[in-house]
Amino acid sequence: MANETAPTANTQLFRPGYHGHNQISARTLGFWLYMLSDALLFTALFASYAVLDTPMNAAGGPVASQIVNPIEGFWQTIAVLGSVTCYSLATVAMKNGKRGGTAVGIIAAIVLALVFLAFGVNDLATLAAHGDGMDRSGYLSAYFVLILTHAIHMGVGILWMLVMLVQIPLFGFNDMVVARMLNLRMFWQFQATIWVCLYVYVYMIGA
Amino acid sequence: MAGSHSDPLAHPEVRQGSAMRYIAGFVSTVVLMGAALIVTMRHDLPYQSFVELVGGLAALALFSQATLFYGLDISRAQIWKGVSLILTLPLFIITVGLTVWMFQSLNQRTMVMPTSAAAASQPTLLQ
Amino acid sequence: MQLQVPGPWSPLLGRLTLNAIPYENPILQVTFAVVALIGLVIVGLVLYHKKVGYLWREWLTTVDHKKIGVMYIIIGLVMLFRGFADGLLIRTQQVLANGPHAAGMLGAKHGFLPPFHFDQVYSAHGTIMILFAATPILTGFQNIVVPLQIGARDMAFPYMNAVSLWLTTAAAVLVMISLFVGDFSQAGWVGLIPLTELPYSPGVGVDYWMWAIQISSVGTTLNAINMIVTIVDMRAPGMSWFRMPVFSWTTLSTNIIGLTAFPVLGVALALLGADRYLGTHFFTAGMGGNLMLYTNLFWIWGHPEVYFLILPTFGVISEVIPAFSEKPIFGYVTMVAATFAIAGISWLVWLHHFFTMGAGPDINGFFSVATMLVGIPTGVKVFNWMFTLYRGRITYSVPMLWAMFGLFLLLVGGLTGMMLAIPAINYTVHDSVFVIAHFHCMVLMVVCAGFAGVTYWFPKLFGFKLDEGWGKAFFWTFAIGTVTVFSAMFALGFEGETRRLDWTFNTAWKPMLVVEEVGMVLYVISLVFFATMLVVSIRNRHKQRLAADPWGTSRTLEWLTPTPVPFYNYAVTPQVNTRDELAWRRKYGLENTKPDVYEDIHMPRNSGLPVILGALAGVWGFAMIWRIWWLAAISLVGIVLVVIIRSFDKNAGYHLQPAEVEAMERDLAIGAIMAEQSDRAHHHTHAEAH
Repeated sequence: MANETAPTANTQLFRPGYHGHNQISARTLGFWLYMLSDALLFTALFASYAVLDTPMNAAGGPVASQIVNPIEGFWQTIAVLGSVTCYSLATVAMKNGKRGGTAVGIIAAIVLALVFLAFGVNDLATLAAHGDGMDRSGYLSAYFVLILTHAIHMGVGILWMLVMLVQIPLFGFNDMVVARMLNLRMFWQFQATIWVCLYVYVYMIGA
Repeated sequence: MAGSHSDPLAHPEVRQGSAMRYIAGFVSTVVLMGAALIVTMRHDLPYQSFVELVGGLAALALFSQATLFYGLDISRAQIWKGVSLILTLPLFIITVGLTVWMFQSLNQRTMVMPTSAAAASQPTLLQ
Repeated sequence: MQLQVPGPWSPLLGRLTLNAIPYENPILQVTFAVVALIGLVIVGLVLYHKKVGYLWREWLTTVDHKKIGVMYIIIGLVMLFRGFADGLLIRTQQVLANGPHAAGMLGAKHGFLPPFHFDQVYSAHGTIMILFAATPILTGFQNIVVPLQIGARDMAFPYMNAVSLWLTTAAAVLVMISLFVGDFSQAGWVGLIPLTELPYSPGVGVDYWMWAIQISSVGTTLNAINMIVTIVDMRAPGMSWFRMPVFSWTTLSTNIIGLTAFPVLGVALALLGADRYLGTHFFTAGMGGNLMLYTNLFWIWGHPEVYFLILPTFGVISEVIPAFSEKPIFGYVTMVAATFAIAGISWLVWLHHFFTMGAGPDINGFFSVATMLVGIPTGVKVFNWMFTLYRGRITYSVPMLWAMFGLFLLLVGGLTGMMLAIPAINYTVHDSVFVIAHFHCMVLMVVCAGFAGVTYWFPKLFGFKLDEGWGKAFFWTFAIGTVTVFSAMFALGFEGETRRLDWTFNTAWKPMLVVEEVGMVLYVISLVFFATMLVVSIRNRHKQRLAADPWGTSRTLEWLTPTPVPFYNYAVTPQVNTRDELAWRRKYGLENTKPDVYEDIHMPRNSGLPVILGALAGVWGFAMIWRIWWLAAISLVGIVLVVIIRSFDKNAGYHLQPAEVEAMERDLAIGAIMAEQSDRAHHHTHAEAH
């Protein structure tokens, strides 16, 4: 090794008092990595959707242009982005140490998320009621599963928010609660990101 | 562990949150999606240019989310998120892009497309 | 919405009936008897020595990365044995069932395994070897070695580490249960589509295969997150990126693959699951399904997965060769660059697993060229290892022998891989045993590195070396067996034998099939030597008193800790001054320097929740396989509840006092990972709530 130097009187062999990593940073990085992994899950679903989005795979059933409604999708876009913004503002309240403001932001985010889900579930239920459920054709399978996967993520996020609504008054803003709030912020913003991809690809390009 | 004894609210991840940025993120995404919606509803572009235009608007929306929502930048607190995202981006493109290319070619070579149905329906990425 | 499945179904037991238990099969009777006997002996020994409490406190609930790593490796070795038994059955069936006049027994027309059973055996062999043997063994090494190598006290998320382990265990248990309750998939480890669809595989076999892989891949993804954050965030002061040992680099790259590739597998299997459980048409033969889509998704994961296995293998070899050549690794920077080049290219080659799909010359050409590109960084690595050996002071100890044989297999497997990368050749040998011989050379390189790693790092953890003589006997029989089996298999590939044959119709294959069987006998002998090595080493363990670096020539940081490693790893965090820190300290006579002062150490507390989570995941998988909906719902709710309960736990760790640490550093036995710690930790430490 060329860069090897002999030890001197100042060479340290041990570092007493070294504290290593910071919990919150480690947790947010870890969660970010999980989200990249989740993003690849959606990537694989989008790839499947692309392959199954042909008239041949519709197998005589409806194709994209017959079932998507870009205008209704726009209301959903506003709802999900509003929810994400409300939650993000809740973390700004947390930054200022305001528990009440945080709770209000979270509750608003939950309400808007429920509005979003109501639109989506209603869409799928209507289709299924007309006999165009996920078992109708390869195309509809891809359509349903893509939208349902996003919806399940939203549901998990809502459950997580409910847990946070209990933990904030119970524990205050300690290390763990703050780390969870930050991770949930990423998770929630990520749902908006996925929705943008979904909206543009399925609802607009398909229309 | 260092973090456990200092104030968690002083952590840079908490400090980076900003109401202005989040509202700007909301507005920019809604505006961009609104523009894409108008393009979609007008139905007057050839398929290829339509996909490129709407895709471009989506890319802008995603970029605005990356900077305004996630607050990605090259500060010490954020650098690893940015690096890992940039390393992963090609994988998104490879996975979807190569799959579409592969199946496009496969369908052309091996599948008899029902011509009447194909002509009557909307084009998709695979055609 | 419940899909019609053939056979009885009841709300209470789902598809489970007494007929699901194959008690009339003589092979399974013997297997069950042996498994039950071994199980009884182990349980008896634990009870006799009154070790139930020790097992629960020190192992099942542990969050210590070293113990978790050891348990990963034990699971891997057990599954390796199971997978080997399957391989032995396959080889023996093929040699017995050769030609139209081959005799049949045990209900088979030829040989002793009817097609129904044989197909399960080869499907289980592949699934187990790749996902439940090689993966856990390598994950185990990464768990044990990486935190030590980068100078950390534990992983970034010790609790999540335990969760990953128990999810993997639950999946392995499901695979084992399929032996005695129901049956396993008959559609190969890749899940040949549309054979895996409900109309063609109406039994529970595919469900066992699917859910077991799904559960273990969640564990792998969590472990990947943990490893990456550990390496990014927890390196000791002074350990800049380019001072990090090569094994840690390969761990980083392999876990980037793990993190990004496994979700795609999850999607492939989930969509198959939707087809089987919800009646969708993703991969069905009609109704607008596209069965090549499954193949595509599977190999988008499948090829990176191959490198997920091979990169840590390269890492182990990169640690062993310098240590036993007494030279620093040649071309460290190119080694790191090559590692990441391989990881990157691994995402661009997946179509070479199905060149014959007919995607066209452009696409086959693209993937062919991309595949050949892998040869460049791999070649860089091989030459680096050779230049490390060149003019080194080489000791042919057991780990070094394994590493050398691994290089040989890499050469054979790599060059045949280059042949297979050419579509014209690939069309000819597609699905022949030539391909099987090629990838067995590669995965046996993983096994070689596994045994190199076991012998190399064993003394670090347990404080005694594995017996050298028996280790060499094990190595030579294993190596000669490998060469015998797989040179014959390459030849059979050229003679046109296709893979997965339960009846080898061509009598001209007989000589080579016999040669393969001779190789299998050598493998069996090598197993006996392996067991003897373990017994002899454990019996003689008190005859050795090992220094921190038992080999005397190791170079990296993990050998700086006392042997056996205390459970807190480093009494005081080391300061890293150069790349091969230990070699540097040894050169200047500093390797035995101890810290002047000790400080208190914060340790995470053990938790029983990961085992419970693993158990619930296993029960959930079992309920889904047998379609026992109430049980599936309860266990799923249970999993969610456990996760929420954990989030209300205040996660208080405990502190070791400086005097205690000093005492343990003096008397290594009480700090060793095999020792009982919880009592002491309980009485003399102060719980910390924050």
